Amino acid sequence: MEYLRMLGAVVWKDLVVELRTRERFAAMAGFTVLVGILFNYAVDPTVVDPQGIAAGMVWLTVVFGGMLGLGRTFHLEEDEGAFQGVLLSPIPRDALYLGKVVANFVLLVLVTALVFAVFGLFFGLSFGRAPGTLAAVVALGTLGFVAVGTLFSAVSARTTMGETLLPILVFPLLVPVVIYGVTATKSLLAGIPAAEVEGNLRMLAAFALAALAAGAILFRHVVEE
Amino acid sequence: MEHPPESSGDASPAPSAWAPVADRRPVLEAWDLVREFGPIRAVDGIGLRLGEGELLTVFGPNGAGKTTLLRILAGGLRPSRGEVRLRGLRLRAGDPAWHRRIGVLSHQSFLYGHLTAEENLWFFGRLFGLTDLKERIPARLEQVGLLERARSRVRTLSRGMRQRLALARTLLHDPDFVLLDEPYTGLDAHAAAVLRGVLASLKDGRRTVILVTHNITEGLEMADQVAIQVRGRFVFSGQRCQVDAATFDRFYREQVEAAG
Amino acid sequence: MSRNLRWSALVLGMLGTAGALALHWMVFFWVPTERTMGVVQRIFYIHVPAAWVAFMAFGIVALASVGYLWLKDERLDRAAVSAAEGGMVFTSVVLLTGPLWGKVAWGTWWTWEPRLTLTLLLWFIYLGYFLVRSATENPERGKRFAAVVGIVGALDIPLIHVSVQFFRSLHPPPVVLKPEGPTLDSEMLVTLFVGLGAFTLLFFSFFLFRYGLEYARNQMVRRGTPSEVPGLSGGLS
Repeated sequence: MEYLRMLGAVVWKDLVVELRTRERFAAMAGFTVLVGILFNYAVDPTVVDPQGIAAGMVWLTVVFGGMLGLGRTFHLEEDEGAFQGVLLSPIPRDALYLGKVVANFVLLVLVTALVFAVFGLFFGLSFGRAPGTLAAVVALGTLGFVAVGTLFSAVSARTTMGETLLPILVFPLLVPVVIYGVTATKSLLAGIPAAEVEGNLRMLAAFALAALAAGAILFRHVVEE
Repeated sequence: MEHPPESSGDASPAPSAWAPVADRRPVLEAWDLVREFGPIRAVDGIGLRLGEGELLTVFGPNGAGKTTLLRILAGGLRPSRGEVRLRGLRLRAGDPAWHRRIGVLSHQSFLYGHLTAEENLWFFGRLFGLTDLKERIPARLEQVGLLERARSRVRTLSRGMRQRLALARTLLHDPDFVLLDEPYTGLDAHAAAVLRGVLASLKDGRRTVILVTHNITEGLEMADQVAIQVRGRFVFSGQRCQVDAATFDRFYREQVEAAG
Repeated sequence: MSRNLRWSALVLGMLGTAGALALHWMVFFWVPTERTMGVVQRIFYIHVPAAWVAFMAFGIVALASVGYLWLKDERLDRAAVSAAEGGMVFTSVVLLTGPLWGKVAWGTWWTWEPRLTLTLLLWFIYLGYFLVRSATENPERGKRFAAVVGIVGALDIPLIHVSVQFFRSLHPPPVVLKPEGPTLDSEMLVTLFVGLGAFTLLFFSFFLFRYGLEYARNQMVRRGTPSEVPGLSGGLS
């Protein structure tokens, strides 16, 4: 109970700060919309069928845009050394990590929804017959992404290379999320029934669970000196 | 430990003014603390004995490892060697039980600029597992004279107010061991006076306090024990007696020069 | 201790080198040419043992990293970084020999053959391991971060493996030939096992030499001034 209260306080704090600064969301939202515009010129939609490549576009945009926000997860803490204060409190380190993951997850899900909406509008996509399953694919994929990204954002923020290191650490690890996320999304956008992507959903869930467990255990070794 | 200063010349306080650390039953003890950062020893074999309600001031030039010492005592940094005990509780870095008993005030406020004063205290109160925050927060804000600014975002507060709020955060969970790291840095005379008043109220005979500073006047004021740290070591430590700041200042400089 | 270490490293190194020489002789003069793939298939006796060592090394990195985070024993970190460096060398061998073969066998330098892809990703995880190690001011922090990369990487590799296989099942590769070719005859098998043995010995020889080097470097750091010690933070030196 106390564990959940502590975790909740971290989520609340991160989201309130984000709501007031809108720094990370604005960066990610702006980035993703602009990428949509660039895609229009990079992949001429009058030649290529956008419905066919939409899944890849959406996921890559989310992953690249998400790096902007995830990379700054711990920057809001650095001002006035607030994170040191947090680390000197008795909150279990796994609760701290999971709280950060939840807050990042909320943020990233909003960004992903925005990407789907904007790309749907720009390229006239239809979202298939199973929007619920599509939402589950997006949610599980994003959760795995955020779980890995939050852990390594804590790592990279504490190196001399900073955020530039984050993609190098995270992208190789994200291959399963991209593969299962993109293939499932592609099937669903093509109108294939939801039952066919069940395997993908299971793998995305497995990835997210493994990443959360690893992050919760290892976070302590990242933040404690 | 080092010897009391020699009495030769007027430069140093008389030896009789310095007694060895008293044999009162200590509540905080540390033995042979060492912390290495690669090849550098930031803390190099420091020991402490503090009685109930005692205040120790650690003086030292920049880079002497004072902050590292505090971070170890705060449970935020694992010592490479050595042991610390607070009322029998053995320090293990990252131990929640240790964190619950310790309050840390640094020259950084450890506050979130985008949250209000109240919200900051609420957040940290939750992290400390406190449940009576409704009563506790106004009481602490009152104590540091910030009740009327409870709803102000911290970034709109002056440096002095922030430092007072940071003090309220430090004392929120009623720690019985308080660590102060250069708390006066960047404060104007008025803010420093207010802070000094609140810090003086910390000396209620129950709380054990360690203050780290390089400001002689402020450091000497409330000290029961003083220590001088240079290059990771205590080159001097003893019970504080009646000695004026100017004399101690001279002594301090001698010690730093001799060791540096 | 360090003398024993040096001797073991030397002996393993000599055995490994002898094995590798024997392997090359066998590859060039002894083993029969595979019927469908021709001469280029012979690179397989280098390629497969290198891949085996690369992945085994990463297993050692992960185990030593878990141990290091748990016990904070410097020796385990030294073991992890030594294994990672050896592993990176053999991963590079895999990535160099794979396309050489691919060009002849498949007519293209690179295909998204799942095992080759997995090895490429492994190479990048190793890269992250070394980058993070050298990108901290406090060497102890770099060691911890590298250990985290090693552990998460090792946990992720099976998932990456499954996912790239899954991806190929959706998109069959342009060429039907499988890297193993048809069943191996006994001379081929013997050659392969000589390769596995030789490379494993070589790896452990590298590993011990590197371990000793890391130890010596730590000793030097302890005694001397840090500026005199090249590559203090233990990067890709």
